[in-house]
Amino acid sequence: MKKLSMLLIFLFLCSSLLWAGGKEEVAAPIELNLLAWSYSVETVQSNLEKFERDNPGIKVNYSDVSWFNFHDVMATRFTSKTPTDVVYNTDEFLEEWDSAGWIVPLEDYFPQAVEYKKNFPDYVTEAMSYNGKLYGLPYFADIFIFIYNEDMVKEAGFAGPPTTWKEVTEQSLAMKKKGICTYPLAMQFAQKEGWSTMTVTSMVYSLRNGSLFDRNLNPVFAKSGSAAERIVTWIRESLLDTKIMDLNSLQMAEIDVVKALATGKHAFTILVKYNLAELNNPAASQLAGKFKIALMPGETHETVGTARFYSLTKMATERGPEVLDACWKLIEFLGGITDGEAYVVRRWVLEKGLGVSYLSMYEDSEVIDAINKWGDVELEREQALLGKIKEGMTPFYPAWDVFTRAEFHKAFLGEKTPSEALKASADKWNELKKAYYKE
Amino acid sequence: MVNRSRRERGVSLFRRRSSTSIYGYGTIAPAVIVIALFTIYPFFYAISASMRHLVLTMPYDQRFVGLGNFIEVVKSYYFFTSLKNTLVYMLSTLILVVICGMTIALYLNSGLPGFNLVMIIILIPWAIPTVVAGITWKLIFHGSYGALNGALYSLGIIEEYIAWLSNKYLAKAAVIIAHVWKETPLVAILFLAGLKTIPGELHEAAMIDGSSAFKSFFRITVPFLKPIILIVIVYESMVGLATFDLLYVMTGGGPGDATSLIGWFAYTETFSFLNIGHGAAVSLILALILLAFIMLYLRLIRIEEMY
Repeated sequence: MKKLSMLLIFLFLCSSLLWAGGKEEVAAPIELNLLAWSYSVETVQSNLEKFERDNPGIKVNYSDVSWFNFHDVMATRFTSKTPTDVVYNTDEFLEEWDSAGWIVPLEDYFPQAVEYKKNFPDYVTEAMSYNGKLYGLPYFADIFIFIYNEDMVKEAGFAGPPTTWKEVTEQSLAMKKKGICTYPLAMQFAQKEGWSTMTVTSMVYSLRNGSLFDRNLNPVFAKSGSAAERIVTWIRESLLDTKIMDLNSLQMAEIDVVKALATGKHAFTILVKYNLAELNNPAASQLAGKFKIALMPGETHETVGTARFYSLTKMATERGPEVLDACWKLIEFLGGITDGEAYVVRRWVLEKGLGVSYLSMYEDSEVIDAINKWGDVELEREQALLGKIKEGMTPFYPAWDVFTRAEFHKAFLGEKTPSEALKASADKWNELKKAYYKE
Repeated sequence: MVNRSRRERGVSLFRRRSSTSIYGYGTIAPAVIVIALFTIYPFFYAISASMRHLVLTMPYDQRFVGLGNFIEVVKSYYFFTSLKNTLVYMLSTLILVVICGMTIALYLNSGLPGFNLVMIIILIPWAIPTVVAGITWKLIFHGSYGALNGALYSLGIIEEYIAWLSNKYLAKAAVIIAHVWKETPLVAILFLAGLKTIPGELHEAAMIDGSSAFKSFFRITVPFLKPIILIVIVYESMVGLATFDLLYVMTGGGPGDATSLIGWFAYTETFSFLNIGHGAAVSLILALILLAFIMLYLRLIRIEEMY
């Protein structure tokens, strides 16, 4: 009996070893870690399923973090060396993350990426480049636009949307007077909202001499009578004097503004263009079809152009050539053109209204039809041509941005004059610039 | 024979003591290792980081700067404003939590009806995670669709919705209310436990001698509760000084810097500005402030005078 037991144990161990050995013969898939901010998670997962089907040797571990915490979580993740190979990135973070040694230029490892530049609008290439090198392929590229509720404008007695900030005030006051809405304007000015400073910047761009910095990265926004001072003053008056802007704007993030507009509480706002698709989506908005794009009110009608893209991390480059190759496949699938089609980029445009990052897509009839469903492709193109890359993109821009959001709040609430707040912001910029460039 | 026997007894005692010591050290070792890993090491690392130029976007430059980070932090735009905000926040929450906690404890100890129901109700805020509590209160105070605005408007108290969290005074009041709501249950339970230890005869005797309830409270109840009051004050001061999560969820430190406490800037310096040196310096300053408060409390409420 004892011998039989021993024999059974021996056989069990042998079969276990053979099974384990047999498993090793099948090559384990390469695992990639993709870090993203949370947006349409089910679409991302479905894209990744397709990628894994097309590339059976690669498995993608996808994690997402709220956009509000994305920067801070990524800082922790990179510092603690939590495995991360491909990461969502933005033009605001690019220089900072490169300086910290967290990401690498894509074209240093994959020179073929440079070929894509020919198909990007200039601002998209610029948004994804640092020191003349391309750091990624696009998730989407978009512009800040002025959105208005057409019915409310007509009801207030106006034939078309406002074309200057003065007209925005006039139309808003008319709406208030007629009881159409209490606060015609709502903005994404929450201190945690990453788009907050960009919204103000897009308004600054719309004015003559609408710049924040000169060519040597010296702040010009704090000069007396600057476009920035005019805009901050206008916002403050809209909040405190004319009361055309909802004071809750100071707590509103992008999603809050979209929801508030969709219920008819407000008539005007500034958002990144893809939100127009959501506002005019009958499944998400009670007032679908009422929201239109207008050129940014102001004097030049220029606006901010921005890009979100996929970056390669330094950690990935340390994992060997096979992993690097897999990373390129993933980045190209997500942001490039494979088998003659920008599958994922196009899908975002068609299904979610995210901005077009490839010029060739404006020739795509399906894309044109999709945009026209919720927007106006001609007006969008006109506004896109007036899109300017963000100024001041430096390793210290994110830190300055966080500081400036608080200063804007102080100016908006009347705790400081616009010139005091802008001066404090300029001083902070100069302090950071001195610290970074003293070497 | 006698000497041998003594020697044997000595060896045996030594062995017993040794084995007791090994057992003792072995028992506390896991706790010591955990504390060393998660408290002592980070503490010394924070001291080291606070004395270096440790900015994540400048990895090539990590020179020793001595007290440079501390000086920069104290000279920074936020230090004195946030220090004032922190002290106001800590004192307000402390006073309110003690008053509310004591009131509830006295009610629960009075034997009035509804004891079980009140116990369950007051424990709910304590059981809710702070982040969830913060989100709940943010929704209550929401300027567009908040429950508070809805209630006040329905009752005719306000004519239009108030943007509670966009006003620097109201935002401060809102986070203090949320904090007090969250912390009161624990304090009430602690006070209740203390009240249960006070002999009933003392109050009866005082009543027979004609002492008012007010006098009895200050002459009998408060002296008996002194040790618990000390614990509550120390603990709630720590919680108040180091508050971060509630602010992060409810106001994001705003509007402006209105609800930005020192703890907030320890986070901002570290994770938003990526300046680990400054972040560590702010955290150590916060720890020193806390230590100063604890020492002050210990002096004010002398343990030996409590009994």
